[in-house]
Amino acid sequence: MTYVRDDLRSVQRRLVVALLATAAVFVLLLGRLWLLQVVQGARWRTLSENNRLRRIPLEAPRGVVTDVRGDIVLGNRSVFQLLLFPEEMDEPARTARFLTGLEIAPPADVAARIDKALRTSHLPSVLADNLTWRQVAAIAAHRAEYPELEVHPATRRAFPDGPGIAHLAGQLGEADPGQLAANANLHAGQLVGRSGLERAYDDRLGGTPGNLVVVVDAFGRQISELNDEPPVPGRPLQITLDLALQREAVAAMAGQVGAVVALDPRDGAVRVLLSQPAFDPELFAGHLEPAAWRELVGDPLKPLHNRALQALYPPGSTIKPIYAAGALDDGVRTAASRDFCRGGVTIYGHPYRCWLGGGHGGVDIERAIEVSCDTFFYHLARDAGIDQVGSWAREFGLGQATGIELPGESSGLVPDDAWSRRARGQPWYGGETISVGIGQGPILVTPVQLAVAYAALVNGGRLVRPHLVAGTGAAPRPVDVDPIALAAVRRGMERVVTGESGTARRQASLPVVIAGKTGTSQVVRKQEGVRWQELPWEQRHHALFVGYAPVAAPELVVAVVVEHGGDAASVAAPIAGRILQRAFGPPPEPDPAVVANAASAGPPAAPTPRPRPNGSGDAAP
Amino acid sequence: MRRLDLALLAGTLFVCLCSWLAQTSTAQALASPGFANRQLVWLAVGLVVMALFAFADYRVLARFAPLFYAGSLLLLLVVLVAAPVRAGTRAWLPIGPFTVQPSEFARVATILAVAAMAAEHRKDRLSLGIVARLLALVAAPVVLVLLEPDLGVALTYLPVVAAVLWIGGLPARAWLALVLGAVAVVGAAWLWYLKPYQKERLLTFADPERAPYGAGYQQRQSRIAVGSGGLTGKGLRSGTQSQLRFLPAQHTDFIFAVWAEETGFVGAAALLLAYALIALRLFVVALQARDRLGGVIASSVGTVFAVQVAVNVAMVTGLAPTTGITLPLLSYGGSSILATFIGLGLVHSVWRLRYANV
Repeated sequence: MTYVRDDLRSVQRRLVVALLATAAVFVLLLGRLWLLQVVQGARWRTLSENNRLRRIPLEAPRGVVTDVRGDIVLGNRSVFQLLLFPEEMDEPARTARFLTGLEIAPPADVAARIDKALRTSHLPSVLADNLTWRQVAAIAAHRAEYPELEVHPATRRAFPDGPGIAHLAGQLGEADPGQLAANANLHAGQLVGRSGLERAYDDRLGGTPGNLVVVVDAFGRQISELNDEPPVPGRPLQITLDLALQREAVAAMAGQVGAVVALDPRDGAVRVLLSQPAFDPELFAGHLEPAAWRELVGDPLKPLHNRALQALYPPGSTIKPIYAAGALDDGVRTAASRDFCRGGVTIYGHPYRCWLGGGHGGVDIERAIEVSCDTFFYHLARDAGIDQVGSWAREFGLGQATGIELPGESSGLVPDDAWSRRARGQPWYGGETISVGIGQGPILVTPVQLAVAYAALVNGGRLVRPHLVAGTGAAPRPVDVDPIALAAVRRGMERVVTGESGTARRQASLPVVIAGKTGTSQVVRKQEGVRWQELPWEQRHHALFVGYAPVAAPELVVAVVVEHGGDAASVAAPIAGRILQRAFGPPPEPDPAVVANAASAGPPAAPTPRPRPNGSGDAAP
Repeated sequence: MRRLDLALLAGTLFVCLCSWLAQTSTAQALASPGFANRQLVWLAVGLVVMALFAFADYRVLARFAPLFYAGSLLLLLVVLVAAPVRAGTRAWLPIGPFTVQPSEFARVATILAVAAMAAEHRKDRLSLGIVARLLALVAAPVVLVLLEPDLGVALTYLPVVAAVLWIGGLPARAWLALVLGAVAVVGAAWLWYLKPYQKERLLTFADPERAPYGAGYQQRQSRIAVGSGGLTGKGLRSGTQSQLRFLPAQHTDFIFAVWAEETGFVGAAALLLAYALIALRLFVVALQARDRLGGVIASSVGTVFAVQVAVNVAMVTGLAPTTGITLPLLSYGGSSILATFIGLGLVHSVWRLRYANV
C-alpha cells in the first residue's frame, strides 16, 4: 500500500489561523495572570490574609466591686457573645435573616446592629451577648455558611442585688466615637461606664482589652493562635457601702418613690445609696435593647434618675436644725430665747399657719425642734432675713455639690436676692423668706446634701465629703458654728424621738435609741381639714426624715425622702428607723439565702467588722 | 529519538514535573499522601503509553478506528448501566483496584474515527453529507456522556467538531447554520438539561454578586489564591488558600490555582508557556503532517488540549464560569492523564512519519 502526500495547502492556511488564534488566547491568559498576580497582587494578598487571620478582641473582665465587708456588689459571670466580622460578610440581609430566626433580637434591631457594625469599622463588632445554648449550637452548626459569625466566651457584669444597686452601680454602654478617638485601647462596641460607679471608676474597673489573632481554615475552624495579648482585668474595688444596710433600705422603701442616703458622719463614707424606682441593671450590662430603653425613658416616674444625688426637694422642716444652729451661733437666738405659738402668725400682712392649728404655746429653740414649731422659725427667718438664713444653709453645704465621686450630682438651691434678680428678673420678695424659714419655697436640696448637712450637725462641726471609696474624700471643712450651739440642736433632735411631744416619738419604742428630724414639704398648698390619706398620690406632701444613731456618738446618718409619702412621722421616719436598727440593733435571724450568697461570693477582701453600737444607751435626755 | 518532537516532549515533561509538585501540595492540604504518589505513577505510565503510540503508525491505527470507536460506545453504555453513582454521576467503572473513566478514552477514539472519516474526503470543502456524518459521529458519545451526566467531559468533545470542520473547510453559510444550531442546542440545554446548580454557576459568572457563597465562592477563593501568589509565590506547600482549604476541588478543577498561589507569576507563567508550547507544537505538527489524516489528528488533539487549558485557566482566573473542565496532565486522575498521553503519542507518530514514504 502506498501513500501519496495530500495537497494540503488550504488545510495549512487554516491551520496557521488556528495556530495564531491559540497563541493569542495564551497571550491573553498570560496577561490575565500578570494583572492578577503582579498588578493586583498586593490587594489579593490582603484578602488572602484576611481569609485566614482573625483578630478577636478579648474584653477585659471588669473589676469586682465589694462592699465594706467584702460582699460582692458587682461581680462577673461567663457568657457567650456573638462577634460579627463585617468583611467576611457578603450578604448582610441573609445574615440578618439567620440571626432573626435565632431570635437574637427583633428583625429591626438585628438589621440596625449589622448596619452599625458595617459602618463603625472593619474590626469585629459584638452583635449580642448572653447567647443561649440553643443559639450557640445553631451558630456553630452553620459555621461554614456564615464565616462572619463567631461565638466567643466573655464575661458580663453580674448584679447579685439586682435593681437594689442599680443607680449606685450605674450603666455600661458602648464607647462613643469621641471616646474611641481619645483612647486607642478602646475598640468599637466596647462597654464603658456611663454613669454611677462604673463611670466614676471606669479607669480602674475597665482594665485593658486584649487581642487574640488566630489562623482559621475555610470552615472557620481555628488552626493555630498567632499571638495572644491577654486582657488585663479591671482592678477590684472595695467601696464603703454596706450591702446589709442597702438591702434593708430596699426592703423598707418597697413600693415607694424617693431616695435613701446613709453615711458615716465621722468621715463621709457612704453606707446606703438608694433611688426608687430603680431599673434592672442587667439591661445596661451588655447591648441595650432599644425597646427596653424607650420604656425606661418614657416612664413618668423616671426610674433612670438617681434621686439620691439628682432630685431636688424642698427640705421642709428638716432645715430647722440647721437654721437653729446658725441662729444660736450668730446670736439671732439664744438657748433661752422663747417664742409663743398661737397656731399661726401674720407677717407683712400675710397669714402664715403653724402645722399645729391649736398652737404649741411657749417654745424655746430645743422644743421648737422637738415639736417642729413653724411659728418659731417664721419669726426667726423674719428677724434674720434671707441673706443670713441662706448663709446658715450654705455653711452646712446646701446649695453646692457635695463632691461625691458619682457623676451627675445636682447642687441644689439656696435662694437670695441676687439669685432672684438673676433667675427671675425681680428682687427678692420678703414674704418668701418666711416660707424659706420652714424649708418651703425656692430652697431645694438633694438627699445626699441633707445627709452631709446632718453629719456636720452631729460630728462636731465638720462638713465631710461623701464618698464610696475610702481615702478619696477631701479633708472635711470645719463648719463655723459654736459647739455649744450644735449640742443644743442635737438635744432638740433627740427630743424629736424621745420627747413626749416629739414629732417622731413613735420611733422611741425601738431597741436602739435614735434621733433626727422630720420634714414634710408641700407639693400643693395645704388644704384645711383634708387628711393626707384622702389626697390623690401626686398631690400628697413629700415625707422626709433625717435620723442618726448612736445619739451620743453618731456613726450613721440616714436621710430618707419619700415622694408624696404624705406624712413624715409615719412614712419616712420608720424607714430611717429600720435602717438604724439594722445597723446597731440585735442581729437579725440569719437568712439562708444571704448566707449562701456570701459563701459563694469568693474570698472577701479584708472584711471590715460591722460597726457596733457603743454607748447608745446613755443618750442625754 | 531524533524522530520524536523534542520541543513537544520537553514541554510535556515540564508539565509533568509541575503536576507532581502541585499534587504534593494538595496531598498535604487534603491529608491524602496518595494523591502525589498516584499522580506520579500515572504520569510515568502515561509517558510509556505515549511512547507506545508514538512508535506505532497512526495510519494503521486509523484503520482500526471504527473498532475503537464502537468499543468506546459500548463502554460508555456499560458505564451508564453498571457504574456506581459517584458524586452524582455514573462516570467511573471499577476495574480491579482502579476506577476507569471511559469518557476520557472515548474522546481519543472519537478523534481517530473523525480523522479517518475526514481524511477520506479529499476536496477543499466538506460536503453537507460528510458534515452530517461527522456531527453524528461526535454526537453519539457526547449524548452518552451527558447522560452520565458529566458536562465537563462532554464539553471537551466539542473542540473535536470545531477542529475537523475548520480544517476540513466549510462554506460561510454552513458556519452560520452551525452557529444557529449551537445556539439552539444551548437554549435547549438550558431548558431541559442543565441542573439548577449549573444554571446558577452561569448566572453567577455573569453577576458575581449573585451568590457569594455558592458558585461565586469558588471563583472568589480561586482568584484570591492566584492573585495572592504575587510575583514569586508563597512557596511550595505553603499556600494558605490551598493548605487551609479555602480552595474548592483543589486537586482537580482548581489545581492551577494551587500552583499559581505557591509559585507566583514566575511559576504560573512558566507552566502556561509550557502548555502554549505543547499546543502550538501540536498545530505545527499538523502543518507538517504528510497527509490529511495526520493533520486532522494533530489539530484535533491540539484543539482539545488548547481549549481545555484555556477554559480551565480562564475559569481559575475568573474569566470563565466553572464548567468542570479539568486541566490536562495537572488535574488529578489517571484516565484523563492516560487519554491525554495517548493523544500526544498519536501526534508524535504523525511527526515521526511526516517524511515516511511508505
